[in-house]
Amino acid sequence: MTGAPPDTQAKGIGARLARKEDARFLSGRGEFVADIRRPGMLDVAFVRAPVAHARIVDIEKPEGWESLVYTMADMAEVKPIVAASKLPGFQKSEQYPLAKDKVRFVGEMVAMCVAPSRARAEDLAEQVFVDYEDLPVVSDMHAAANGTAEGKLHEHWDSNVFLETQVDNKAGIADDVVSVRRQLSTSRQCQVPLEGRGVVCWWDHRLNRLEMTSAAQMPHINRTGLAECLGLDEGQVRVVSPDVGGGFGYKGILLPEEICCAWLAMKLDRPIRWIEDRNEHLSANANCREHAYDISVHVERSGRLAGIDCDAIVDSGAYSSYPFSACLEAAQIGSILPGPYKMDSYSCHTRSAATNKPPILPYRGVARTGVCFALEVMLDIAARELGIEPFELRERSLVGPDDMPYTNITNKLFDSGDYIACMHRAVEALDWSGWRARQAETNGRKRIGLGLATFCEQGAHGTSVYHGWGIPMVPGYEQCNARVTTDGILELQIGAHSHGQSMETTMAQVANTVLGIDPEQVRIMHGDTGGSPYSTGTWGSRNAVMSGGAVAAACEKLADRVRRLASHLMDVAADDLIFENGGVVSGDRSRSMTLADIAHTWYRAPQLLPDDVDPAGLGLVAGYKMRPDMGTFSYATHACAVEVDTVTGAVKLLDYAICEDGGVLLNPMVVEGQLLGGLAQGIGTALYEEIPFDDEAQPLASTLADYMVPGAAEMPHLTIEHMETPSPFSTFGQKGIGEGGAIAPPAAITNAVNDALGGLGAEIHSVPISPERVIAALEAAHESD
Amino acid sequence: MSAHLEFPESHTVTFRLHVNGEEREVSAEPRTHLADVLREHCGLTATHLGCEQGVCGACTVEIDGVPQRSCLQSATRFEGREIRTLEAFENDPLGAALRRAFSEEHALQCGYCTPGMLITARDIVQRLPQADEARIREELAGNLCRCTGYRGIVRAIQRVLETYPHESSDGR
Repeated sequence: MTGAPPDTQAKGIGARLARKEDARFLSGRGEFVADIRRPGMLDVAFVRAPVAHARIVDIEKPEGWESLVYTMADMAEVKPIVAASKLPGFQKSEQYPLAKDKVRFVGEMVAMCVAPSRARAEDLAEQVFVDYEDLPVVSDMHAAANGTAEGKLHEHWDSNVFLETQVDNKAGIADDVVSVRRQLSTSRQCQVPLEGRGVVCWWDHRLNRLEMTSAAQMPHINRTGLAECLGLDEGQVRVVSPDVGGGFGYKGILLPEEICCAWLAMKLDRPIRWIEDRNEHLSANANCREHAYDISVHVERSGRLAGIDCDAIVDSGAYSSYPFSACLEAAQIGSILPGPYKMDSYSCHTRSAATNKPPILPYRGVARTGVCFALEVMLDIAARELGIEPFELRERSLVGPDDMPYTNITNKLFDSGDYIACMHRAVEALDWSGWRARQAETNGRKRIGLGLATFCEQGAHGTSVYHGWGIPMVPGYEQCNARVTTDGILELQIGAHSHGQSMETTMAQVANTVLGIDPEQVRIMHGDTGGSPYSTGTWGSRNAVMSGGAVAAACEKLADRVRRLASHLMDVAADDLIFENGGVVSGDRSRSMTLADIAHTWYRAPQLLPDDVDPAGLGLVAGYKMRPDMGTFSYATHACAVEVDTVTGAVKLLDYAICEDGGVLLNPMVVEGQLLGGLAQGIGTALYEEIPFDDEAQPLASTLADYMVPGAAEMPHLTIEHMETPSPFSTFGQKGIGEGGAIAPPAAITNAVNDALGGLGAEIHSVPISPERVIAALEAAHESD
Repeated sequence: MSAHLEFPESHTVTFRLHVNGEEREVSAEPRTHLADVLREHCGLTATHLGCEQGVCGACTVEIDGVPQRSCLQSATRFEGREIRTLEAFENDPLGAALRRAFSEEHALQCGYCTPGMLITARDIVQRLPQADEARIREELAGNLCRCTGYRGIVRAIQRVLETYPHESSDGR
């Protein structure tokens, strides 16, 4: 061997490796759906309902152009989207890709128009006349849940409730507890990835299958759903998710648009494209976060949490979306509301209310952002009542390091960590006592407040967590196809998809850790059902653990194969071979071979192989499942200082600190990126983002000028502290942490605002904390004086 | 057999644009905005569309050396103007410095806002050599990113401001 091999030691797990995916995006060479062209491609525009609830009396196509406009009547063979839960009492909805008989929310698709450009397709859409007969609109989830709404979403249902659940672990608590009760709520939002949804599809005659390119988080799930609705076998559907401009839950769905475009591509035998515009995105798809809580917490005088009672409603919109269903979010509230706390008594009643609004989808954090808000705001209210600091109350009830592994009151198995130390580090990182001193000096028009919020984030949920929901998908074994090319490049195919999460880099780091191969020599191929193993895709902070586990398993298995070949070729015992620097070396370092040498022999010089060689060679599939598979529990505390202007109602973030524990970090730079991006979205939830609906369920924020997404200037000064407590249940001790940044900000910021307003007797109960809500809270306090 | 389809007539006009140093003849409907012409007629897909309303900044291009939205005006109004998209900065030393800093500071995740960000970042570096963090954040008000929380973007611009043009002119 001549010259020192390149050092690959700093490129494995734990390295702040710059991303392999950056170069193409920085040169404008990313390939997003809208960048794809096919010969003869046509554009689609949809006619969408302008009213929230109405019977379709008649649809008139423009005269002479009937062949360019399609309604559900033309697509009679297409089946509706049904995402039922097997939980008892679930009422299922049927969502036809184009509305059949009636429309149930503003923006629901009624007809599809096709033309050589989107603009010309929109011209046609404008000429489609739909005669609607108005029906009573269900716009309020409380009325829907309580049975007081005049309208009815689905005629064959008993009520306007998809599902009702009850968790009852009530136990006796002391008489002298301090009990506080409030009604709290979070507003309807949209995830707003910068790229919307989009579809380009065509029929491939050579392979006799539908080629569906879609901005999708879970292409295998979309493939299954498409085959079911279109009556094709799955072999006749390939779904490719190319570069995708952010997901956050928005693209974790089987789209009615995908079904329509696929049907049209087959009908016309032409490539069909639909690219969502921002108006469709915000008005037809305002689909997340709308929760209402009636919650009581009971705290002993010592500050120890004794119990929680809660009644929660989630506005689940008009239909049950595929695959997560309309009930996952509300039912999840029942199981995750206790968070990382120990308590004696717990009860939670939940309802998934059906309203004339877009169907609910999970948004980063899913129900966690809501439950963290509800519980953490209540804990601070209780702490104020007791006259103690919020961290004093929490340290008496947080699950402790000696409790691990810990099974909580809803049977969640916590894997590892020191939640109390984490909280104290965040408090110190903010300089809590310093801010308290500054707060004491300012009690005029502008008031300072401090708040914190603690939470746990269950990630990589396994089969045991999901099969009970009885929804169309259950995560099982995550797999990886691995093969070595003739020149020693490692090709890895995974069924998940990376749309900003940096998996082309982090999965290569995993391969480096197992095989010593330079990440530059590793190609990650993802998001293509054509060759990758089945996967439920990218959701629920699962891929560092699940895809990471699958890649590690495949590399281990490959290492075994390589070791056996190398042992023969090098005449060294297999267990005396070490993987490093893209090859194997004997224990005494006297002999070495590169992976390229070994691969070359396997593929191109098989005469050198022994007769009893394993004929499976250098390609394989390996799978991974966590055991136990409850998931990993990452956690964090967010602490912040705010200034509230009591005249204008404006809230300013003065400082922000996060201490988080994501177990072993695959790439700390990437983890910080996830944390920062989540924080921006959490700040949006806390202070800016809301799509109000009026009494007729008309969305009132349908552009980015009305729906305010945080910009660079809205982000506060931030301190991040990492803890790295390995999970005993994952391959390397890593934990899922992709969503955490978006979970705590609404709670932490609301607590800080309530701390600032505490002296004035005012309290915020809803996010976003708009100036109007601050003024209203101050006026309410003034009136009750 | 593909279905034979006829469509309502559309009225197109032919005009010339100067894009990335090349003269382009384009036939498009007069209502077509510049971004659509760049993407659909010139094959330049680095320019992305996020809102088509002038808020998000993903479609930012350079017009006569100044960043401008390409989604707000008909392409015909750009005749005689010097249009530069991200594709033009392939060999530009400042572009290279920004690309390197963006990668090192993890200033991109999904990459969708990145082309518009780079055009704006290039303008900040050239126009405001003394810009501090607060000023950079203010200047970025017209470019939304939903992934990064902006810290990496701000730091990347700060890094280039500190080192450029003191570093070698080939941008390495």
